[in-house]
Amino acid sequence: MLSVLTKYFGNLSCRPEAVFEFPAGLPAFEDEKRFVLIELPENSPLVFLQSLTRPTLCFLAFPILVVDREYKLAVSVEDLGALDLDPGRQPELGRDVLVLALVSLHDGFSPTANLMAPIVLNLKTRHGLQAIRQDRVYSHQHLVESSSREFPC
Amino acid sequence: MLVLRRRAGESLLIGDDVEIEVLAITPQGAKIGIRAPRETAVLRKELKITQQQNEAAAHGLTGADFHDALKKLRSSSKIDSSLR
Repeated sequence: MLSVLTKYFGNLSCRPEAVFEFPAGLPAFEDEKRFVLIELPENSPLVFLQSLTRPTLCFLAFPILVVDREYKLAVSVEDLGALDLDPGRQPELGRDVLVLALVSLHDGFSPTANLMAPIVLNLKTRHGLQAIRQDRVYSHQHLVESSSREFPC
Repeated sequence: MLVLRRRAGESLLIGDDVEIEVLAITPQGAKIGIRAPRETAVLRKELKITQQQNEAAAHGLTGADFHDALKKLRSSSKIDSSLR
């Protein structure tokens, strides 16, 4: 187990398999090359992408199908190559890759998820990158809807 | 927005030292060549948007606001933990 100082949960013990290398970092965070994926049952399905080098840097994310169950990947050939994935086809969610949408919280506004630039994690190599779509099919500020209307309790 | 029609091989000048040339046009998109001073940043707009969105996402909220937001997010729609 790996002890990780986190932004929101203090020290956490993480399995080494939860660590993902980002050789190119993330846009605006190019120096952050290692993140640990934190999945806590009490926060499911929300997950956290915690930087291993900067404890104050932690992204909130949803598995992308949680935000849009019809989501279709369009990872560029360059990004597929960088992830050591078959450039001839889109990877299969859950089998080849785990795909996350980063969530932004805005003071007083509804949270949004970035469907334009999902985080793609190769489950075999444990490498990841942010795959910016070249099309304009999905928004970078997709409203995360609240279910309170659909499931009154 | 200024709109101009250009063919492959034709150029635009922006200011004194930026030249944008349309190199080729295919059904997949236009191939653009840019001549600009080294200190002029040239970025795909999606990359800029992603940088800004990542900065916003990293900022997050603190304290009670954060836990409140977390609670709302957990109850977000279409939750199906089998969708991994």
